Amino acid sequence: MSMRSIYRGLRRNHSRLCSHLHSHATSFGFKEVREEDKSQMVGNVFTSVASSYDVMNDLMSGGLHRLWKERLVSRLNPFPGMKHLDVAGGTGDVAFRILDSIHGVARRAVGDIHDDNLLEETQIFVCDINPNMLRVGRKRAQERGLGDSKSLIWVEGDAEKLTFSDASMDGYTIAFGIRNVTHIEKALAEAYRVLKPGGRFLCLELSHVELPIFKDLYDYYSFSVIPKVGELVAGDRESYQYLVESIRRFPKQEKFATMIAEAGFQKVEYENLVGGVIAIHSGLKF
Amino acid sequence: MVRRSGVLLKSAATGISSRLAEILVCPLTKQPLRMCEKTNSLISDSIGVSYPIVEWIPRLVPSDGIILQSDQDLNSSDSPQTNSS
Repeated sequence: MSMRSIYRGLRRNHSRLCSHLHSHATSFGFKEVREEDKSQMVGNVFTSVASSYDVMNDLMSGGLHRLWKERLVSRLNPFPGMKHLDVAGGTGDVAFRILDSIHGVARRAVGDIHDDNLLEETQIFVCDINPNMLRVGRKRAQERGLGDSKSLIWVEGDAEKLTFSDASMDGYTIAFGIRNVTHIEKALAEAYRVLKPGGRFLCLELSHVELPIFKDLYDYYSFSVIPKVGELVAGDRESYQYLVESIRRFPKQEKFATMIAEAGFQKVEYENLVGGVIAIHSGLKF
Repeated sequence: MVRRSGVLLKSAATGISSRLAEILVCPLTKQPLRMCEKTNSLISDSIGVSYPIVEWIPRLVPSDGIILQSDQDLNSSDSPQTNSS
């Protein structure tokens, strides 16, 4: 236990130093960029990777990203009739899982007309700033037979300036997206704005590993293996270099939890998966 | 037959789009949007900006907005301008 508190102390000092040196809004991985340029540069990354995004996720995580998304959706506890917003969810992974889960819930419940109406009232909005990612998502929806589903709505929008009215959503998820936003605080504030009282905020994101030997293995994997795989499979080493660097630049679990609380959320918690490689942060709007 | 299914597809698209206008708001002002079928876009009357719908996906990123030159619809010959935010 004492090792952990020493670690925490070291971490706190390190992050205090870091926050004086850089800001998330001007970091593009390890590069420093102008704040107004970051959004465009991130956009270019995702335009480039869109078509191989899902394949690369499988390769880089050994298929584990599917389990992580399952965990996110089960934490969300979707219900028929819910209005849900999945931000930065371009290719639809989380949205499809939420829909499947809701149909599963409806099947298990005692069937009556009321339930069917609720099912129809379900609305899952997939919002992404990148049209290419959305295009891939829509195509995948069609392949899964969800092309005509009135419950799946694709919108191109900015996490920092959402196109939804106040208190209109029962749930908000952002999976592997908040790291790419220029101003995290604005995205969190918008999340708070669009959620109804009682609404839940859930964020699935790559986070920080502190376990001694595992951290070194993870660093090796991140900086030596991933950009190489990106080069071979997606033909784009730079984008995957940005990816692994941006993970390191993102606030640590505790700091991010504080930021979520500062946006107004209550009962802010986080759950580490794979020793901190992944963290699921959650909050409630009262 | 082909023409009728084309019309049906178009009306399905505008049906979805008019539903969108009921749910979505202008990302800048958070005021309601109005569907314009002629230009297939969502209009934010509060600031006079039109957001296009491309391949059934509405583009509601602030920089996608096109400032309307007049009270009428946008001319197709106009080059898109970015909305300053």
